[in-house]
Amino acid sequence: MTDFNTNDTMVEMFLFETAQLLEQLEQVILSSDMNNYYSEENINEVFRIMHTIKGSSAMMMYNEISVLSHAIEDLFFYLREENPEQNFCSSLNDLILDCVDFIKVELEKIRNHDDVDGDATNLVNKIKDFLSELKKNSGSNVSNEHYEVEKVNLFKAVIFFEEGCEMENIRAYSVIHNLKKVASKVIYYPQNILDDDGSVEVIRREGFKIHLKTDKTKDEVYNHLMDTVFLRELEFAEIDEETFSEGFDKEVFDYSSSEISLQDANYEEENNNQEGNILHKPDENVKDSQEEEKLHTDMRKINLEEEKKQPNAENHNVMPTQNIISVSVAKLDKLMDLVGELVIAEAMVLQNPDLEGLELDNFQKSARQLSKITDEIQDMVMSVRMIPLSATFQRMNRIVRDMCRKLNKEIQLEIKGEETEVDKNIIERITDPLMHLVRNAVDHGIETADERQLKGKPKHGTITLEAKNVSSDVHIIVRDDGRGLDKNKILRKARQNGLITMDEADMSDSEIYKLVLLPGFSTNENVTEFSGRGVGMDVVAKNIESIGGSISIQSEENKGTQMTLKIPLTLAIIDGMNLKVGKSTFTIPTITIKESFRTNKESIIVDPDGNEMIMVRGECYPIIRLNEFFKVETDVTDISDGIITMVSQDGNAICVFADRLLGQQQVVVKSLPEYIKRFKHIKGIAGCTLLGDGSISLILDIASLIHIK
Amino acid sequence: MKRVLIVDDAAFMRLAIKTILEKNGFEVVGEAKNGIEGIQKFKELQPDIVTMDITMPDMSGIEALKAIHAISPNANVVMLSAMGQEVMVKEAIMSGAKSFVVKPFKEEHLIKTLEKIANS
Repeated sequence: MTDFNTNDTMVEMFLFETAQLLEQLEQVILSSDMNNYYSEENINEVFRIMHTIKGSSAMMMYNEISVLSHAIEDLFFYLREENPEQNFCSSLNDLILDCVDFIKVELEKIRNHDDVDGDATNLVNKIKDFLSELKKNSGSNVSNEHYEVEKVNLFKAVIFFEEGCEMENIRAYSVIHNLKKVASKVIYYPQNILDDDGSVEVIRREGFKIHLKTDKTKDEVYNHLMDTVFLRELEFAEIDEETFSEGFDKEVFDYSSSEISLQDANYEEENNNQEGNILHKPDENVKDSQEEEKLHTDMRKINLEEEKKQPNAENHNVMPTQNIISVSVAKLDKLMDLVGELVIAEAMVLQNPDLEGLELDNFQKSARQLSKITDEIQDMVMSVRMIPLSATFQRMNRIVRDMCRKLNKEIQLEIKGEETEVDKNIIERITDPLMHLVRNAVDHGIETADERQLKGKPKHGTITLEAKNVSSDVHIIVRDDGRGLDKNKILRKARQNGLITMDEADMSDSEIYKLVLLPGFSTNENVTEFSGRGVGMDVVAKNIESIGGSISIQSEENKGTQMTLKIPLTLAIIDGMNLKVGKSTFTIPTITIKESFRTNKESIIVDPDGNEMIMVRGECYPIIRLNEFFKVETDVTDISDGIITMVSQDGNAICVFADRLLGQQQVVVKSLPEYIKRFKHIKGIAGCTLLGDGSISLILDIASLIHIK
Repeated sequence: MKRVLIVDDAAFMRLAIKTILEKNGFEVVGEAKNGIEGIQKFKELQPDIVTMDITMPDMSGIEALKAIHAISPNANVVMLSAMGQEVMVKEAIMSGAKSFVVKPFKEEHLIKTLEKIANS
């Protein structure tokens, strides 16, 4: 067997494609869930997706996935063919979503090189039970098909196929089909090669037996039969009229208790006049009831044209060419890196000190052209990395649905602006926070249907998920029309936990709501299954801040709550403030800066350990002298000669002391080279960037600096 | 060297087939991800053999097979079928498919089938 599952490219492709298919599947199911009905299109889609997953996973020898997807495929095959009354939609959805989850877990195991040891037996049985339940509830009618079509040389042949070639019955059919070119009449055994699964076993055991009447010579017929694919053995002999008409021995029929009449396959004269498709007239035959069961699903004409339609695809002459390719993210990261360096190199050339004072008209002209192109490249690379939020948003559908069922609430999720694009790295990092916010909205925000009716609100709660571009940021808004935040409850809770640092009377609404984001705060006393699994809003806030974003909260009692996440478009380029310390340059992400100011010795407080602190508006902040912290030599050691910058993250603030400010600029963030990271984990540094003059600036990791103090 | 066109909606399957074929001395001249594309590529590339998946979006393998057969009655089309698709395979054979391979297939099965057809 081909060992695909040790082939990395293959595994990667398998994981990628299967994950995509599962996502599609989820969407189909959720849309069916909304309508409480499976449209023909949806059924076909599910069928096709499961069919593909079944095939791929079987090739990869992930049997559990394959068996499970096969079971689902069978179920949807039945739905497609029989179109039973649909009163099962939501229970079926639950079941299928469970299966999706199972496969997802298995994929995760494959990705992590763990043992793929999940057991799908339970799910498979459930699906089978579901299917048999469906079958029981709908009567089945049976149609049948037989080929009855009608001389000189008579031969007999017994064909044995190679082991493991599968579908021996269809191979046998294929032999009969091909014989029509050479034979005028064929009798074969077993007869019911298409209808009876048992025939496969018989062919494997005893071979496929054929009697044929033809005007061709022995050699011609023999050679014809030898062309059969997967032919292992062929017994071939001439026979007389008597043997021919006798058919096959009685004893070979004993595999089935029922009587089987000899069945002839007569090829009508049509093969003289027609090329290609020859229609065989089916002759109705009475079959035994055992076979009927198996048959009725197979015998319907299958209409494959009904599959998903695409507008462009209708005209067969218009070719949908492949205009999308997948590229590994690592390559894009590398490209982004290179473009960053290109921009810097460009600045190094164009602002080269050697050029100073020279009159270079032509050079300047070319330089402008170069700048224009590098700008465009930069924009283009950024846009390549952008992916729409739609997949992330669609995932929320599933969460809302699952929670509504468990909590018995009625909630509609409205999605707006899902086409808004954000850098891929950012999408990965906002998915969890977003999920948390949506969970919170469902669990704590929206009231139960009864409660809502009492308040005169519509029974259905609504959660809106909206994304929009606002200058260089993306705003993601989670809004619910639920009970809103209770200010008094928040204040009480904050007091209990000692989180209030200013006069309560002076606090604005938004300041009160922001308390929710502090570590150690959780307003809901009863932790439910969904919200507050020990993870509070503080973690959400922290995650968002770690990508340079922020959260703001608005709320009105009994009207609802709105959480707005402000997210930068990309992580690769940030606004930074450059500071000089001795000969070194440091960059602080502008978003963390509160203020910069000069001070004097008198304002500094020194604790017994020698740690410096400063009082600003009644608050005490620790001071980090960058020169001491990073052991940089500088002439500026007097606190009154340098400048202090107050930075904050996660609600904590510190003051950073540097020689002077150089100014603000956009910088391309680069991670520290691997060998430096390996050699030593340097605290307080998030990465580095190249400045226009070619020098390196270290980007400060404010969160870790705060942590150190 | 025999020139093969792979028609399959699953990128994974295309890669798998391609890997096997190229290892065994076939030249994969093109890939298509549905029936419509398959027909177009068939006209364009005139491959010696086409491997055709049955279940695909937009246009199934059977429809594509019929169209290809209409263009070139002697086209060598091998169907790739999953277990349980007997009825469709039957239809494919009636519509002119030269043979079929059942998924999940073994490398040697695919190669044997294609070699047989290539030499006939």
